[in-house]
Amino acid sequence: MRLLRQDLHALAGVYALDVLEPGAECDRFSHHLDRCQSCASEVRGFREVATALAFAAAAEPPPGLRQQVMAAVARTRQLPPEVRTHARPRRSRPRELWVPWLAGVVATAAVVISVIFGLAHAHTQAELNRVRAQNQEIAGVLTAPDARLLASRTTAGGAAVVVLAPSRRQLVVTTAGLPALPAGQVYQLWLIGPVKIVSAGLLPAAEAGRTSPVLASGIVAGDKLGLTVEPAPGTAQPTTTPILALALPV
Amino acid sequence: MNPSDSDASSFRSPSTDRRGEQDLDDLLVHVARGDEVAFEAVYDRLAGPVYGVIRRVLRDPAQSEEVAQEVLLEVWRTATRFDPAMGGAATWVMTIAHRRAIDRVRATTAAAEREHKTADLTRPHDEVAEAVEASLDRERVRRCLDGLTEVQRESITLAYYSGYSYRQVAELLTVTLAAVKTRIRDGLIRMRDCLGVG
Repeated sequence: MRLLRQDLHALAGVYALDVLEPGAECDRFSHHLDRCQSCASEVRGFREVATALAFAAAAEPPPGLRQQVMAAVARTRQLPPEVRTHARPRRSRPRELWVPWLAGVVATAAVVISVIFGLAHAHTQAELNRVRAQNQEIAGVLTAPDARLLASRTTAGGAAVVVLAPSRRQLVVTTAGLPALPAGQVYQLWLIGPVKIVSAGLLPAAEAGRTSPVLASGIVAGDKLGLTVEPAPGTAQPTTTPILALALPV
Repeated sequence: MNPSDSDASSFRSPSTDRRGEQDLDDLLVHVARGDEVAFEAVYDRLAGPVYGVIRRVLRDPAQSEEVAQEVLLEVWRTATRFDPAMGGAATWVMTIAHRRAIDRVRATTAAAEREHKTADLTRPHDEVAEAVEASLDRERVRRCLDGLTEVQRESITLAYYSGYSYRQVAELLTVTLAAVKTRIRDGLIRMRDCLGVG
């Protein structure tokens, strides 16, 4: 096992230079990268070396290239952004698993209703795309084979319902019955880890006492989901005592 | 995220100072919002290295131009997915460029092999000497490459500039796979420290 792991570590260099052919070995290494912080930072460093090698090879591009590229740009639509509610890096694209998953139907139904609500309220194409992209991510969490339902009351009243997908290191959170806040204050979600606290975004304004789903990514072992009341438009680190601290078993 | 992540985003690409690199990250943020003028600025900064590295790998100017166009368009199309937490903009773009070049090599080799049934591995002549001209950036990279052992240098430049897989590199250098992996990794560690990145 130890040997196997060392073997994997040794692949960081060939992986960063893109000379590891696609296949089982490459898959195994990229899978390993998801959980090996030191490998990931090594690969990042090596890619910067590779960038230096690329710059060292810089050459004058053909004269027509700029015009061709700009013409292509003018007729090419950009991909919609991936919707993430905080900035932790996600190493591999989550697989979309469209397996119907029946546990936690109640929460799922609540979430889906709120999502559909979001769709109905999207006014522009960009907004629609954004909502769709987010829905796809949320659906991915809800249908993950290992998705589990967690719920907790907050110390301020009301409750949060969380669908956690450990395999994707993501969760979706909805709330019901939280006290309304005065203007200038917001509810902010946090991933509270043993080492650091990362914002997981703001709760949207409640509609009929419920908030539509918020997706949080990049959960690591030991994280708790926290909820605090903060001055708008949110803060970099929590400034008040959490009204919720829910352990996230990943 | 660990503490070294912040270092990654402050990467000094060889041809830009720290501020230049930050500007590039900012520019990409504007590109992500559909700003074509910002994209032109990105083009002016990165088209040279993009085209250059593709050209080094593919050699054929027409193919290189085609792939460079694909890469630059991909930068436009996927700027919305650029995540500075994963490394600077230059690194993001160069990773795309190098991968696309490698993909093209693999596709072309597969097609050629279907026709000829032989894999002809020819060693490119002194790639480094060819790449390195009077520019300071190149000098710096060259100096760092010079600090490697010969086998490390050879493994890294063959791997990065030739478009060969590491199995092919091992074949060409008649060493084991494990030896190639180790040489490349050890060499990259030295390069990283010498360039002061990562």
